[in-house]
Amino acid sequence: MKSYKYILMSALAAFSLSATAQDFDSDPTLNIDNKEKQVKFTVGARFMADAAYYHTSFTPLQSGAAITDARIRTSMSYGENWYFYADFGFGNGKFSQKNIYLQYSTKGDDFTHAIKAGYYNDPAGSMARQTSLGSYHFISRAGMSNAIGAGRALGVTYKAYNDNLFLYQGIFTENQYNKIDAGFNGLTVAGRWLYRDITGNDKWHVGASARFAHLGGGETMVTKGSSVLKKTFSMGQTLETFVDEDEQFVGCELPWANNVIDLGAEALYLNNKFFARAEYKHRIVTKERDSYKIYIAQQDNIDGWGDIELWENANKIKTNHFNGAYVEAGYQIFGGGYKYDKHDAVLKGNDGKALEVVARFNYTALNNLTEGEYFNAGRGNYYAAGWMEDWPGTGATSVGGGDIYSTTVGVNYSFNKYAQVMLNYTWHNLKKDFLPYDKNFHQVQARVQFTF
Amino acid sequence: MIKNYLRIGAIGLIAAAAMTSCSDEQQFVDYNAQAKKVDVQVLNSELAKVRDYVPLYAVIAHRGSTYWTPEETEASWRWARDMGADYLESDLQATKDGVVLSLHDDNLKRTTNIQSVFSDQVPDIRRAFYRSLTYEDGTPCNFTEADINEQYNNDLGNYYSYYPRNYYYAELLMLDAGSWFNEDNLEQARASFASTNNPLQETLDAWKADKNAQVVYTNGLYISALADQIAYAEGKKLNRDAQGRRILPYHVKNSLKGKSLVEICSAAPSTEVEGTTWTAQARYMDFLVYDFSNAYVADDKDSGNRPGIYIEFKESWAQPKDMEARVYKELDKWGWNIITKPESNTQFYKNGKVNVGNTNGKVILQSFSFDATNRAFQVFKGRVPFCYLLWTSYPGDYATDIKYDTPTGVAAFIKTMQDHGCHIIGPAISGAPNNYPEMNCPWQAYMVRRAGMINHPYSFDSQAQITKHMGYWNYGWETEFDDLMKVTIKKTPYSVFPGDSQTWPIYMDGCFTNHTEMNLQYMIDNGMRCNSQLPNPFHPGQNFDNSQAPSTVPNAVELLNNLGY
Repeated sequence: MKSYKYILMSALAAFSLSATAQDFDSDPTLNIDNKEKQVKFTVGARFMADAAYYHTSFTPLQSGAAITDARIRTSMSYGENWYFYADFGFGNGKFSQKNIYLQYSTKGDDFTHAIKAGYYNDPAGSMARQTSLGSYHFISRAGMSNAIGAGRALGVTYKAYNDNLFLYQGIFTENQYNKIDAGFNGLTVAGRWLYRDITGNDKWHVGASARFAHLGGGETMVTKGSSVLKKTFSMGQTLETFVDEDEQFVGCELPWANNVIDLGAEALYLNNKFFARAEYKHRIVTKERDSYKIYIAQQDNIDGWGDIELWENANKIKTNHFNGAYVEAGYQIFGGGYKYDKHDAVLKGNDGKALEVVARFNYTALNNLTEGEYFNAGRGNYYAAGWMEDWPGTGATSVGGGDIYSTTVGVNYSFNKYAQVMLNYTWHNLKKDFLPYDKNFHQVQARVQFTF
Repeated sequence: MIKNYLRIGAIGLIAAAAMTSCSDEQQFVDYNAQAKKVDVQVLNSELAKVRDYVPLYAVIAHRGSTYWTPEETEASWRWARDMGADYLESDLQATKDGVVLSLHDDNLKRTTNIQSVFSDQVPDIRRAFYRSLTYEDGTPCNFTEADINEQYNNDLGNYYSYYPRNYYYAELLMLDAGSWFNEDNLEQARASFASTNNPLQETLDAWKADKNAQVVYTNGLYISALADQIAYAEGKKLNRDAQGRRILPYHVKNSLKGKSLVEICSAAPSTEVEGTTWTAQARYMDFLVYDFSNAYVADDKDSGNRPGIYIEFKESWAQPKDMEARVYKELDKWGWNIITKPESNTQFYKNGKVNVGNTNGKVILQSFSFDATNRAFQVFKGRVPFCYLLWTSYPGDYATDIKYDTPTGVAAFIKTMQDHGCHIIGPAISGAPNNYPEMNCPWQAYMVRRAGMINHPYSFDSQAQITKHMGYWNYGWETEFDDLMKVTIKKTPYSVFPGDSQTWPIYMDGCFTNHTEMNLQYMIDNGMRCNSQLPNPFHPGQNFDNSQAPSTVPNAVELLNNLGY
């Protein structure tokens, strides 16, 4: 009997080292362990219900309560090296594809190596988005991580890490289902590289990330028989809330987008009682358009356009720049202490009875304005001339996606490793030309969360 | 114990958040509430002074009349003048030779017989027309055949299907602008609206006899010039010859002697106003002079009303770039430019007659176009009343639409238009037969009022629309806009409502109408005209006096009979 016990413990230890499960999959309720065939199968679930009260200065948000996340997850480990994971969401009454991937990992002399393939978070998507919401210390991730970060994608990555280095890079497609109207499924290369010291009581890492995405898919714009591929890139965030996920306040659409380049920097520090982390991201969106084809197709109106130079001046495109950053900190009044997930280089969630207070400041800058241009909220357009013009076109290049500054304070209480309640207050200050009267938003949010 | 408190506290907080979040008032966007909340720029004192040039509850005869007569013709404007309209409304375009027209459509197919006179191309008679031209001193121009052919090719290159800018004004005077109306409006058709001659054949015959003969005009209703519209407002009518054709000789300017047609065409015409020169596109050729000295005679049927004119700058890209400056000069030429010739008379009505045309409110400019509004601001500098017309085709998007017709969007337009010298907002109204979008809801009218701007909705076609916007929208129920929109009107000798007064919301300060007679009668019946004690919304505590406005409204059909149609 004793020998079996040792074998089981050894196997579990091996799984924990090599078959690196996600943080929120670390202790699921249902475990089926077939030691003979070296297979371990788990099933777990997660449930989040939020209530939110919003007070706005102009445009109302819909206060209320909602099941913001309901998820079933399953994983399977085989031997020491193979790990399969999949989860599916049912939050807000909609089925959604979440993670699904297969990972092979092996521990070498200097590094643990992991190759992962499937549908999961882009390495450079942001530290916040590498962290499961179930392990997050706020009701929502920092807004900038949604606006400027990147989420799940279909791809393959290679990761090497030890106590000092974390090197994570991969290649992804733009669209996991290839449901694009025209063009091809774009290509992304991304990486996250950290230097860290996680051996002592004080753990920290600093690092950088980079991401290059070439957009391939778009829609066919047919103008009087002439077809042009129009690729549009969208960015946006909610007001760091799930009950009313309105993205009109911070968001933009960028027609004729071609490449998206993200550059990021991050830092994380934690000890038993305290954590702090910060992240900065800069996004560059380049444009490309077949102006000639469109120009030629528009030559049948009353005046025509004279020449293509005039047309291009009236329909300018420019490379856009956006950025955002956040700082988060937490202090645990009591509990098991903060823990670092060395496999994913993120902060873990509370895993037992705990009480903590947290605070965050986030800014997201999606205004990329061109000096001298005039905006009219009745037209929803910028005008290069400095006033409204009928013809030949606005000639403007400004993007008024909105700049938002968000300050959050919160308190979280974990009853045990399965149940947690959270309470956040957030004040947002918005600067957006299209919504000149929407200056301040106050919101109180509460969450009940169960993870089994 | 602490644990229990924490648990109870946490659950309590969540329950409290969920329950307090159920208040209805913040669940939806409420334009009415927003219209009271948004910042609305108020007209400054200089613009307010010009605003007050315009009479309250003005009746604007949309294109003269579109219902009773062919629009924007001699018949429509004589009728509207004698009916008692305060303004004769029109749209401004320019011919190839730079004559400012009062014409609505951007092509001539609907309101003339052009398709049965000219091919969809430069008129075949164009070369003969060039050959026929004479200078002001009567000597033939004798342009060379090579020059004429080259200019004809220029004309071909600039041709756009039936647009007025393709044609010289003399050519347009060959067109019948009335017979189409009879075909489209059987109930209102009148034989006198249609011409009876064949100008094209008569012109060809005339050239056979004399190659320098002038083209022969139609003997019916014409495409109007702005000069014609002004003449009708002044109580005149066209001077016609024995065959019923208007008298309007034309010549090439003496100053152009020795220049070829091609040279004239390549020199872009320009207009100078107050030291600024405005240059048109080179396709316009201001080389002809029309002699208006004998163009009009006193109208024997003149009622004595002297309405103003309400003229619209059209889409800027289809007009010469000096259009606004041209209109400035044209108004100047006819003594209707209040900048150069201000009026001292301030009585909008006198002895039972409309007198707006003799006041500083005699001209109101209007436009849907940002470019035209901007240029007009540079030319007129806010010194002449200007109405910006609102339109939306949402979810479509035309370049001059107010795409977001929300309190925020309307506030943005109000500010921009004031910053460009506008005093009046002209919103579309819903209802048959046009079924325009409704842009004069109470909240919109309220915002215009908050801005201190005049509200001139367009266009009234029915009694239902009139009653809706002039008193009955809320059927007496209180609204959040009553503080500015409800008006108490005392009875007059001509009003028909019971009691000494009636208090109701009026969501307009004047109206574009295709039924002048209907609007006038409604206003008289309800004390909005012929009243010396009308509350003045722009000067609280003061009254507006229109007691000397005509108190009777002619019968529309009998008036047409009396005018000889």
